[in-house]
Amino acid sequence: MAEIQFIHVSKVYGGDTPAVRDLNLEVNEGEFVVLVGPSGCGKTTALRMVAGLEEITEGEIRIGDRVVNDLPPRERDIAMVFQNYALYPHKSVYENLAFGLRMRKVPKAEQKRRVEEIARVLGLGEMLNRRPAQLSGGQRQRVAMGRAIVREPKAFLMDEPLSNLDAKLRVQMRAEIARIQQALKVTTVYVTHDQVEAMTMGDRVAVMRDGKLQQVDTTQRLYDAPANLFVASFVGSPPMNLFEAGVRRDNGRLLCRVGDSQFELPADLAAARPALGEYAGRRIAVGIRPEDVREASGWDGARLRGRILLVESLGSEQLVHIEIAAAPLERSDLVDIAAQPPGPSLGVGELEQAVTLLGRFDRHLLLSPGEAVEVAIDPRLLHFFDLETGVAVPSAVDAPVAAGVAG
Amino acid sequence: MSSVTQIAPTPVAPVVTRPTRRRRVRKAAWNLLGVIVFLVMVFPVYWMIATAFKPGHDILSYTPQWIPTHPTLSNFHDATHMPFFWDAAKNSLIVVSIVVALSLVLAFLAALALAKFRFYGRRPFIVLILGVQMVPLAALIIPLYIMMSRLNDVKGVNHVLGVDKLGGVIAMYLTFVLPFAVWTLRGFLLGVPKELEESAMVDGTTRFGAFVRILLPLVGPGLVATSIFAFIQAWNEFIIAYVFLHTPQKQTLMVWLASFTTLRGTDWGPLMAGATLCSLPVIVFFLLVQRRIAFGLTAGAVKG
Repeated sequence: MAEIQFIHVSKVYGGDTPAVRDLNLEVNEGEFVVLVGPSGCGKTTALRMVAGLEEITEGEIRIGDRVVNDLPPRERDIAMVFQNYALYPHKSVYENLAFGLRMRKVPKAEQKRRVEEIARVLGLGEMLNRRPAQLSGGQRQRVAMGRAIVREPKAFLMDEPLSNLDAKLRVQMRAEIARIQQALKVTTVYVTHDQVEAMTMGDRVAVMRDGKLQQVDTTQRLYDAPANLFVASFVGSPPMNLFEAGVRRDNGRLLCRVGDSQFELPADLAAARPALGEYAGRRIAVGIRPEDVREASGWDGARLRGRILLVESLGSEQLVHIEIAAAPLERSDLVDIAAQPPGPSLGVGELEQAVTLLGRFDRHLLLSPGEAVEVAIDPRLLHFFDLETGVAVPSAVDAPVAAGVAG
Repeated sequence: MSSVTQIAPTPVAPVVTRPTRRRRVRKAAWNLLGVIVFLVMVFPVYWMIATAFKPGHDILSYTPQWIPTHPTLSNFHDATHMPFFWDAAKNSLIVVSIVVALSLVLAFLAALALAKFRFYGRRPFIVLILGVQMVPLAALIIPLYIMMSRLNDVKGVNHVLGVDKLGGVIAMYLTFVLPFAVWTLRGFLLGVPKELEESAMVDGTTRFGAFVRILLPLVGPGLVATSIFAFIQAWNEFIIAYVFLHTPQKQTLMVWLASFTTLRGTDWGPLMAGATLCSLPVIVFFLLVQRRIAFGLTAGAVKG
């Protein structure tokens, strides 16, 4: 076991296409770190650089206390699970599992003992003589995992190992991998584009975009204190509601204006985020999680008036799309576009500027599309971001490691 | 305009029966055509074998004898006792085995480079490999002969290469076997996902080790196809061997076969017996290796 360090690592393809830009990341011994981001964000490239399958253009990668930049993959003592499993089709399950041991000249008897033990743990005991073609998707996935585990490497590298499984199996294997990792306590770097996978599996999650690391933190901190607009919009499902608002100072109080409604930002909030005062007289990006949007009756807080566009029942709760008067974010390049809800419905928007606000409401509320509704928002639960850079307005208590999205 | 969106009317009951009969007739016609093509292909082979077993007067008889009524092995005896038969057989075997072995090794390595590495001039090289296969062989014989005959004077290589040397013929054969072999193997190699070698490398092999342990077994069918092609080409080749090899002891079987046709006429019986014997190795080789072509080994490597 060993820690993995990225020190100012960059990767440039073909002279001018940067895939990874100045990546600094430390994966501690025994830690499970997930690299997550939309496709093309450089997460897989970063992982392949650790494996030695991709050359490092600049910077340094360390595994344990060794700089591995110039070591071939076989000398790095890591194991990798590929997205398509990459099982050797002409070898039986046993030979697949034993291949790495054989290459490392482990004695035959020891090979047999270890392969059989892993096969038993993973429930592959009956299938050791089969070829990969004779296995189901889930079984192939297990063989691929087993091939990594049996080597007892310093670190596991996993490149979207679950993305070829169907939804149910994926949830099951997700838990299985997390459990195996906790039992073995092997340093693991896991790449995925699925933020749910990232949130549920990792000790820490590193969000990447366009080759740049956006934020690394525990799942909870990532969710509660996103460092910038991109992380805010990428993490969480359904995604955070984001829109523009105006900030104004009036008799020492800070007022926030959303569309045509205005509410006060309480003094404790202003004290916790002193930089907020600097935005007085300017526009700012405001975010609120869907679960923090509440139907107004019985709740305090700022009121926003809107109209229901759609009600999606999820069984335990309902997801309500509400059209409110507010300015949508102009800089769509600062957010994860894929996570944004569709714009206001066609034809019905008599409002000049409208955004769709997602709310997770109690399932007992009777709501139907077209109805007018009033929502309550606690200003203390709002997230504030700079409109130009996308960076979160820092909190005085614990400033998150901020990284600008643009540039 | 409206006709575009029209839906075809559902066929009514009587319409259903007619296509089945028409289909049966069409199928029978295709089968008949298949049988005719088969007969056309097989007849010369049959005639060769049948003639090989006929005594001399039956061969030249004006009433064709479809089945040898007085089968005899004397033609085979005559053929194998012709001068230089065993020399020719030995030469052919040497040429074929070296051509097959060399073409497999060289073509695999070249195909590996083309399929798995990016290098300057890769694309022109691929085009070149396709292009050289379009040059007619007959047009090349004289220039090649001149080139080869000059090699006879070059010290160091003239033991192996040159006119009237088996090495010269082997080199010639490689020039037209290799482009095809490289092209075929490249296709097979491209079909193997790159994660397999990467996985092997992470598992502890060198890059070359990954090629040998993972890629080589997986392109087995491609190697078989290539080796069959090389075998047939080198075994059946006549013109180059005829032009390049002068001394009877150095000739290959195909050139030896031609020696049955002389100014005084053709000795058909022994010629056909010799031809039958010459086609045996190809058939045996094909039967030995053909079973490996049939199935694709890469099934199940990655998500199916």
